[in-house]
Amino acid sequence: MNWRIVAAIVRKDLRVVRRSRALMTPLIVLPVLLMIVFPTVFTFLPRMMGGAREAFAEMFRNLPDPVRRSFGEFTEATWIRVVHSQMLAPLMLLVPFMVANVIAADGFAGERERKTLEPLLYTPATDAELFVAKLLAAWIPAVMIAFGGAFVYAVIVNVTAWPVMQRVFFPDTTWVVMILWMAPAFAALGLAGMLLVSLRVRGMQEATQLGGLFVLPVIALVVGEVRGAILLGPWMAIATGLLVWVIAGVLLLFGVRRFRRTTLVGKL
Amino acid sequence: MTAIALDHVMHRYGETVALRDLSLTVAEGEVFSLLGHNGAGKTTTVRIVNGLLEPASGTVRVFGQSPLTDGSAVRRRTAVLTESPTLDERLTARETLRAFAEMYDVRAADVAPRVESLLAEFGLSERGDDRVGGFSRGMKQRLSLARALVHDPDLLFLDEPTAGLDPSATQQLHQTVREMARTRGRTVVLCTHNLVEAQALSDRVAVLGGGELLALGTPTELARRLAPRLEVSLEVDPARQADAMALVASLDGLSVSAERSGVIRVGGIPRDRVPDLASRIVGAGIPLFRLEPHEPSLTDAYFALQQGRGAPA
Repeated sequence: MNWRIVAAIVRKDLRVVRRSRALMTPLIVLPVLLMIVFPTVFTFLPRMMGGAREAFAEMFRNLPDPVRRSFGEFTEATWIRVVHSQMLAPLMLLVPFMVANVIAADGFAGERERKTLEPLLYTPATDAELFVAKLLAAWIPAVMIAFGGAFVYAVIVNVTAWPVMQRVFFPDTTWVVMILWMAPAFAALGLAGMLLVSLRVRGMQEATQLGGLFVLPVIALVVGEVRGAILLGPWMAIATGLLVWVIAGVLLLFGVRRFRRTTLVGKL
Repeated sequence: MTAIALDHVMHRYGETVALRDLSLTVAEGEVFSLLGHNGAGKTTTVRIVNGLLEPASGTVRVFGQSPLTDGSAVRRRTAVLTESPTLDERLTARETLRAFAEMYDVRAADVAPRVESLLAEFGLSERGDDRVGGFSRGMKQRLSLARALVHDPDLLFLDEPTAGLDPSATQQLHQTVREMARTRGRTVVLCTHNLVEAQALSDRVAVLGGGELLALGTPTELARRLAPRLEVSLEVDPARQADAMALVASLDGLSVSAERSGVIRVGGIPRDRVPDLASRIVGAGIPLFRLEPHEPSLTDAYFALQQGRGAPA
């Protein structure tokens, strides 16, 4: 593996993504919304709106018993813990998934649509080097944004909740596992799904439409958490992350078998 | 030494045969042209030689290596200028050259000087930090050529290299091709419809049609073999021009027309009948001042070949 060639392709791809307003808009808006706006609003909401407190208390009472018991009596501090550890936590996983998904769509289908794939195929990069470069170009920024966003999220939550909590309470163990273990797995899932789709379609639009379907497991996790059907403790997070890694690995294995110059050139 | 050796190469796209039993060699330092209509098999040949396509049968060697098993090593020594400038419009010219220099594993210390020298050579230094999206078609084509040369390839494929270029850029490209081959011993393969360009630049020419090799040789050889009849201009006494034209018209298989006063043009004459034509005119007492044969061109040969196959010329 010639890592200099890999790094050159990664740098080129990331530069191309950075210069596209159409790509950068979702890559900025989603993390800002999920990692800055949501934690701020949901921490302040019960204090800012009188009626909201009763509504949230009702929501808390409707959580399944085991979930409710794990958080104790409903207080403002309980609400803050429920929101950040239970309800919003899985939403964080959307960020690495979407970032990887969008960049991979541009790197595979987008490059073919712009007819810039052919010169890459004529370079000395081996099929494996091309494949690894395309994966890293999508995976590294997705994980970096997830880690950076998680740090910002934790700071915002601790600052905005300080009047109530009076201590640094976030992140908890589950959240740390989720960011360090599950977020990279969901990034891998996002790009693996997009890779498979991109190898079959010709255009970027088709790729993003079909590749977006791979977000459904994340949505299921979010809904399950919000409704209290799933209680994501540290072990559950490790197990879920492992499952996602395995699925992403299998999808990538399918992808790498089809990622051949001789196959790609047929789609030019 | 041989740069490219194709031996009985076949390739299909589904049911369509793209290359049929193609065998040819290209010597190192040669400027070689692949001619043919669209779909003749030129691009398929370039892709096979660079390891982008696997032939159904036959063997391919580039500098003695197989593009399939030693693809990376082969592509380190080759470069391809594709027909349309396939550049990323969001990158600047300088970034484009730098990225490809690194992808071709040019020594780190050589990257910046090489990029700057190519930008200067192709008149792009002042626009080096502008995004390619704002470039004209000619500038894009020049940048594409600079990109192809960034690793100083031993074997350069040029697919319709002058399409969209202005005359001065075309002349510069021709000079680059000549300089690469004659001064630096590089091999150049031109894929083109431009027969005049092929004749001017090529040492040898291969004409492809329907994936088959129809003809192979130097432009002069092909012209003589495929278009063996010449045109000849004869300058005679203007007072006897009508007699000269009548005499030529009476000879089998020759056409004649008046070029201007005192000059007639004879068409369709085999090379070995030219002396006989001259002696007949002189023998008829018509003063003959000058006889100028016009050699058939590669264009004549190409169209003679295509018409012979029943293809639209």
